[in-house]
Amino acid sequence: MPLIETQNITKRFGELEVLKGISLTVQKGETICVIGPSGAGKSTFLRALNHLESITSGKIIIDGEVLDDRENGINKSILTKQQESDILLEMGMVFQRFNIFPHKTVLENVALAPEKVRKVSKADAEKRARDLLETVGLTDKTDVYPAKLSGGQLQRVAIARALAMDPKIMLFDEPTSALDPELVGEVLNVIRKLAQDGMTMLIVTHEIGFARDVADSIVFMADGLILEQAPPAEIFANPKNEKTKSFLQAVL
Amino acid sequence: MFESILHGLRQIAGWIIPLAQAAEVTLALSVISVVIGIIGGVFIALGRISRGKILKRICGAYIFVFRGTPLLMQLFFLWTALPLAIPALTMQNRFLAAVIAFSLNSAAYQAEIIRAAIQSIDPGQMEAAKSLGLTYSQAMRLIIFPQSIKRLVPPIGNEFIMVLKDTSLVQMISLVDLMKKTNQIQSSAATALVYLPSAVMYLIFTGVFTWLFNRLEKHHARYE
Ligand SMILES: Nc1ncnc2c1ncn2[C@@H]1O[C@H](COP(=O)(O)OP(=O)(O)OP(=O)(O)O)[C@@H](O)[C@H]1O
Ligand SMILES: [Mg+2]
Repeated sequence: MPLIETQNITKRFGELEVLKGISLTVQKGETICVIGPSGAGKSTFLRALNHLESITSGKIIIDGEVLDDRENGINKSILTKQQESDILLEMGMVFQRFNIFPHKTVLENVALAPEKVRKVSKADAEKRARDLLETVGLTDKTDVYPAKLSGGQLQRVAIARALAMDPKIMLFDEPTSALDPELVGEVLNVIRKLAQDGMTMLIVTHEIGFARDVADSIVFMADGLILEQAPPAEIFANPKNEKTKSFLQAVL
Repeated sequence: MFESILHGLRQIAGWIIPLAQAAEVTLALSVISVVIGIIGGVFIALGRISRGKILKRICGAYIFVFRGTPLLMQLFFLWTALPLAIPALTMQNRFLAAVIAFSLNSAAYQAEIIRAAIQSIDPGQMEAAKSLGLTYSQAMRLIIFPQSIKRLVPPIGNEFIMVLKDTSLVQMISLVDLMKKTNQIQSSAATALVYLPSAVMYLIFTGVFTWLFNRLEKHHARYE
């Protein structure tokens, strides 16, 4: 059973149709990188999975549960609010602009949601937060306020913060594109480590080299559609779609 | 010359106690109204930014009415209407009428201040909170409000100073505040000298509160 399955998702902002029928499955343990030109709808797709946008029509099935089954924006899924939020908790999200809470220390950023949402005790939440901060290499920054951190460090806090909720799936929306070039590597290494540890991930990225390294499969999106999906070796050596070809020529 | 200065100082010394007693009314009215106004303002602001269309309208209308009519009219209206609405009250309940009028009025202004502060917070903060599973009210309470406080403090400080000065309107309903007392002394002693200690008292209040609000602002900006 796939962890994520979308069937023919569409999304309209007023007259503008941004997603025109996205069907994608992500198996447990798979890392899928989504590439494509600006405005393709990549962010909108990730945000729709996480209910930061509501889709217009189509189905979203997470770990076998039908989260959305929509027609003209109306959800036919029969989940209660509680079930819905439980399913949403299976997905952790990392944003391009980090969205770290500036008024909380690094440790508090990571421990907050487990404590308030999962009702873990403060001591346990903080212990787990320290462990996670160690795995992202920030042991020495636990009690610092975010204003003192570099972009790369902030993004690693954001990854630890998402992981603290023990999600089954991690969604990344261009996690390195707001970073100075010299800081990109430290963040990509953390994500690479997650891939090796078997995390299921959907990563929107412009880092083609990284995608080639880490992805089990590359999805090429343009104009609200998935135009091509193939393992990296195949799509980079031998893209089938004309648009994929010209996009890859431009970025490689 | 020396004699008349001494005489003036003696006069002023004699006014301090009555002025200070009246100033209690001014201070109590301002502080209570601004505090109630903040609480009311939070709810009206939340209504204004909520998705509920009707709630949004009601809160918008509230702000429109209380900012769009003279405060003095609101004061007169409450003073005269309260006894009609609640038979236990009479027009002698001047302080209560004033507190209600100033609180309702201040809530309208503060709602706009609070709404602006909330909306100035990067929407990414709410998205991150939601993606971590926080409910809307948790996100507001733990993430959005704490960050908006440092942006709220300076305009609420201004609002407080405006209210403190506006409370001088209560002399119109014969409530004896600092301003009313000053005028009473002025007319019986027939000297403009009384405005001096009275103005100093107003300045002490606004000065102390300005200082307090500055401290508060610094405190809430400490993590930057
Ligand atoms: N809230 C919104 N309201 C209206 N239009 C929107 C909204 N969000 C996104 N869009 C539009 O949807 C289209 C797709 O946007 P999206 O951000 O998903 O693209 P993207 O593939 O992530 O691009 P990029 O690589 O630039 O991040 C764009 O044309 C964008 O202007
Ligand atoms: Mg995007």
